[in-house]
Amino acid sequence: MKTILISGAISLLTAFATKDKLAGRWESQPSVNGNITGVVFKTDSSFEGYINKKPFVSGKYIFKNSILSFTDNGCEEKEGVYKIIFFSNNDSLRFVPVNDSCDQRKEGMSRLIMGRVK
Amino acid sequence: MKKHVALSIIIIAIVTVGVSFISKEPVNRAELGKLLFFDPILSKDRTISCASCHKPDFAFADTAAVSTGVGGRKGARNSPTAMNVMLRQPFFWDGRAKTLEEQALAPIENPDEMNLHLDSAVQRLKDNKVYDDYFKKIFDREPIRENLAAAIAAFERTLETSNSSFDQWKFYGDSAAVSTAAKRGFELFNGKGKCNKCHFGADFTQNDFRNIGLFNGRELNDSGRMVVTGKKEDLGRFKTPSLRNVSVTGPYMHNGMFKTLKQVIDFYNEPDKVIANSINRDSLLAKPLGLNQAEKDDLEAFLLSLTDGKFINTFQAELKYR
Repeated sequence: MKTILISGAISLLTAFATKDKLAGRWESQPSVNGNITGVVFKTDSSFEGYINKKPFVSGKYIFKNSILSFTDNGCEEKEGVYKIIFFSNNDSLRFVPVNDSCDQRKEGMSRLIMGRVK
Repeated sequence: MKKHVALSIIIIAIVTVGVSFISKEPVNRAELGKLLFFDPILSKDRTISCASCHKPDFAFADTAAVSTGVGGRKGARNSPTAMNVMLRQPFFWDGRAKTLEEQALAPIENPDEMNLHLDSAVQRLKDNKVYDDYFKKIFDREPIRENLAAAIAAFERTLETSNSSFDQWKFYGDSAAVSTAAKRGFELFNGKGKCNKCHFGADFTQNDFRNIGLFNGRELNDSGRMVVTGKKEDLGRFKTPSLRNVSVTGPYMHNGMFKTLKQVIDFYNEPDKVIANSINRDSLLAKPLGLNQAEKDDLEAFLLSLTDGKFINTFQAELKYR
C-alpha cells in the first residue's frame, strides 16, 4: 500500500515537474521584418499564440515525455504532435514535427526557436 | 557680470530647448511619411491627403461607403483601414499591390482619388524647400518615387494596435477584460459562425481572397480579384479584411454596403436573404449559419472587443448615432 502511495506521489510530482518545464511564456527572436512570435503555455492545459503581442491562435495541449499534442482554432481542429527539444538549460526550445497534417502550421512551427520569457 | 553671463546662458538654453521641442522636423522615414500622409500637397488641387480618406479617429478608415477624391469624384470601393498592415500583403481589395510601398503610391495617381501624376508629385516635393531638405537628410538624396513610397509605407507600418480588450484577455491573461458575451462570441467565431475560416490570424485575416456573395453581375458587378489575375474563379473575390478595430471602421465590405456590424452578421447568417442571386459565392456560405438572435449578439460583442483602447472614445461616440 505504502509503495503504491509513494509511486503515485512520484508520478504526480514528475507530471507536474514535466508540465512546469513547458508552462510559461516563450518568444522567438525578432525576424528579419522585426516580427516576434510567442506562445503562453498555461497550467490549465490551454495555450495562446501571438505575433507582436497580437493573439492569433488559442488551443488545448498535453505535454508528456517531451511530446506536445494539441489542437487549436486554426487548422480545422486537426491535432498537431511535436517533439520538443529543450536546450540552453531548458531556457530555449524548438519543435520537431512528429505528426501534423496541417501543412501551414507545420511549416511555421518547424522554423521556430523560442526562448523562455522571464 | 557673472550674473549676466549665467542669465544669458539660461535664456539661450531655454530658447534652444524650446525651439527643439516645437520643431516638427522628421528624424526618420516614418516621421517624414506621417507628414506626407497628412499633407494635401500630393493631390492635384492640394485639397486631399491620404488622411482625408483614412481618418485617424476611425482607425484610419473612411466613414463613407466610398471616399470622395479631388473634384468631388467618388471612388469605386470602400477605403479600408490603413492600420495593422505590417503582417498583411498584398494590398487593396483586389490585391493588385504586392507591397505596401506599391500601395502607398497608387492613390496619388488614381483619378478618383488624388489625381496627381507621380512625376508631378515628386516635382512638387523637390520644389518645396522644406520637403526637399527633409528627404536629403533622411534619404541622402532628393525626393524620388521610391523614397516617397518608402516614407509613407514606413509611417503606415507604425500604425499597429494590440491593446484591445481581446488582447488584454488573450495576451495578458486578464479574463475579466472581456464580457462573458464576448467569450461566447469568440466560441461562435471559431465554431458555428465559421468566421475564423477566413478571419484567422493576428489581424483576423488570412490575407486571401473570397467571394462572399456580393457579386451578381447586375447592380453588384465589381469583379474584384479577377481583374488582377484574369482567372474566372476569382470573379467576385475580394481580400479578407482585418477585423481589428472593426467597430469603428464601418461601413463594411468592399463597397461599403453595410452600415453596421449587425447588418454584416445578419448577412453572413442568411446571405440569400440579402443577395438572392449572387454568383460564385464561397461554399463556406452555401448554407445559412443558423445563428439565433442571442448568438448574433454574442458574436457582435466579440467583434466589439477587438477595439483598441485608443478608439474606445470614437466607438462610444459612434454608438450614440446608432
